[in-house]
Amino acid sequence: MNKLSIFLFGFILLFLAACSSNSEGTSGNSSEDGSTEDEDTVETGEVETNVEATGDEDVVLDFWIHQTGEDETNAYIERIDAFNEEHEDIFVEAEVIIDDGASAYSDSINAALVAGNLPDVMAIDGPYVSSFADAGVIRPIDEYIDEETKNQYVDSIIQQGTYQDKLYSLGAMEASVMLYYNKDIFEEEGIEAAESLDEAWTWDELMENAKTLTTEDRYGLNLFMNEGVGEWLTFMGAPFTWSNGGSLVSENGMEVDGHLNSPETIESLNYVKSLFEEGVVSESPSQTQFEEGDAAMALGGPWISVSAEEAELNWGMMPYPYKDEKVSPSGSMAYAITENTEHPEEATELMKWMTNEESAITVSEATGMPPAQKSAFDSMEKYDELPYSIMKEQVLETAHARPSTPAYPVVTDAYAQAFHAAALGEDVEAVIDQQINRVEREMKRFKE
Amino acid sequence: MKKSNSSSAEQLNTNANEDSRGHLQVADKKPRYKKKRMKSQKFREAATGYFFLAPALILLGIFLLYPMGAAFYYSFTDFYILTPNDVSFIGFENFSYILSDAEFRQAFWNTVYFAVIVVPVQLAVALGLALLINKKIRFRVFFRTAFFSPVVMSLVVVSILWTFMYNPNEGLINELLGLFGIPAQPFLNSPDQAMNSIIVMSVWQGAGFQMMIFLAGLQNIPTHLYEAADIDGASKWQKFLNVTLPGLRNIALFIFITITIAAFKLLVQPMIMTQGGPLGTTKSLVYHIYETGFNYRDVGYASAMAVVFTVIVLAVTIIQRMLTREEGGV
Repeated sequence: MNKLSIFLFGFILLFLAACSSNSEGTSGNSSEDGSTEDEDTVETGEVETNVEATGDEDVVLDFWIHQTGEDETNAYIERIDAFNEEHEDIFVEAEVIIDDGASAYSDSINAALVAGNLPDVMAIDGPYVSSFADAGVIRPIDEYIDEETKNQYVDSIIQQGTYQDKLYSLGAMEASVMLYYNKDIFEEEGIEAAESLDEAWTWDELMENAKTLTTEDRYGLNLFMNEGVGEWLTFMGAPFTWSNGGSLVSENGMEVDGHLNSPETIESLNYVKSLFEEGVVSESPSQTQFEEGDAAMALGGPWISVSAEEAELNWGMMPYPYKDEKVSPSGSMAYAITENTEHPEEATELMKWMTNEESAITVSEATGMPPAQKSAFDSMEKYDELPYSIMKEQVLETAHARPSTPAYPVVTDAYAQAFHAAALGEDVEAVIDQQINRVEREMKRFKE
Repeated sequence: MKKSNSSSAEQLNTNANEDSRGHLQVADKKPRYKKKRMKSQKFREAATGYFFLAPALILLGIFLLYPMGAAFYYSFTDFYILTPNDVSFIGFENFSYILSDAEFRQAFWNTVYFAVIVVPVQLAVALGLALLINKKIRFRVFFRTAFFSPVVMSLVVVSILWTFMYNPNEGLINELLGLFGIPAQPFLNSPDQAMNSIIVMSVWQGAGFQMMIFLAGLQNIPTHLYEAADIDGASKWQKFLNVTLPGLRNIALFIFITITIAAFKLLVQPMIMTQGGPLGTTKSLVYHIYETGFNYRDVGYASAMAVVFTVIVLAVTIIQRMLTREEGGV
């Protein structure tokens, strides 16, 4: 784009922004007029930020962010504003796209990909980095980032953003799954909780205590099976398999035979199956089973801290139970720059800004997710003591990224199908055998 | 369009004849100037016709014909969404994989099962409801509205509501069954019950629409036929068999074919309620195609399945038409 067209483009955007501010009031801009009732709502689509383009900027970056919650999006917009203010020569034009947890956000990316108009920087889900990288949709950023900056991130985020030894993506937040528990019920039943990673429960302890905690009108454990057959099952469930020495795919992400169907993998899913067979977990819990006290424990994400707090539950956190190795789920939304961009250096600058310590803290405070910057943990006091110290320990020590393979969409579905079959008491091995063919066919595509 | 064009033109010039294709021809003996005027008139009318047709044709072209052509083309390629610039022609490879794809086979039989149950049941329920509210009973308007209201609701909303109702632990249906001492059922969580649960919900949601069409048909049956039957001393059942059913024949055929096509297009219910599970027992063909194309990005293979799906539905429809025509139908 030459200067003139950038200028025209900027002018049009300004014009559009002016129009929308007249008709709709604030959108994602809460400081202007505190009295409007929709001050907290963030509309999807182009976002009106506090800092406006002057039209003199050398570089305009298109930036797509996902929206799962208003507070989260407002945190991003706050950081984008700060970026625009700080950088005279770069202007970030952000667009918010709804992410319903299913396919709404990826449909937008797919459509833009085929039409050839991807933005300069976009948010993508961690495990999808490999497939985008393999297809040449996103580009490596190694040349724009030094070792020192790289080391500031927690290992699992760098692991998640790396494909074939090249770094593609950076994230502001991590995620994890902890064993939440209801303190009142534990006291009643006389069960002692694990208070650090060293005291983490083994599979046997989990089973035994879950049985004790299960009564006629209460389940011992909640695995949020109400989320359906999807990414949750892989995210929450795969540590059972890893802890038992199993795997989903090979190291290089190209083989599935001997991994997804290995005896260790099948054994781990059979353990999951036994939890359901003993009746300590429900295969169709209500959304708020744990918060309502209808389940004594729950393997849930950081968002459970938020909802349990809101429900005024007396709750605590324990590390993810283990068999041989202590591992915990990891991975979250991250940013990557596309091959489309004409300004990779500035785009990387934006990514680093959106994931630096200050951004990580802002986002973490808005979402309750753990930050992806090691130093952020030091400046956030809540992570120094229970229950959040458990989350910190897991992110720093046991976080295990999901497999890095371009066939991830099929791999994760295959694993989720097997996990779900285990929950229904079906023959896990038979289901995995069916899935193997499908995954192998998909992997062939990437071997050529 | 053409027909009305020519007939209105004919009124203007009675000497014009129609050729075999319905085009106007002017008899030779007529003076030249008349022929000319005729031509411009004809052109004007045709232009007006196409002008009114244009919006529909353009939209159909862009959103129906072009995508259909594109899908046909992609079905012979390895189009992968992430690499739209690297598409190569692979012949019939996608089609031959369909034959060995266990998921396709499962989805195919699931869809056939759904259609085979839903079509007759929904037809019967719709007819029954129509007969019921065609009677001069009290609260007729209320019943008509009640039976029709599920049709007005979005299928997505209905699916979500029924998912709550089917919940094995806290769902309304199990609560009701509990009142009668029937043990709680797993419904959508059971490979045996999931598809049947979706069928019940689908019939409930869809039957109201066909009921309205049946109702219109019932009210079109001349009363004198019933009166004649009364004079002959026919019983209620005999009147139903010999007057009502023959009178509804054409409408029933129309409904039969439209329900069948709709049943084959099953998508929303499994997508919202079960994601095709448990164990793929509710995965329909269309849902399988959608997942393959959008979640797994394999547009080439999804297109091939879409082509096969179109052929299947077309074949079923043609067979239905042939069977019903033989019996002297529509």
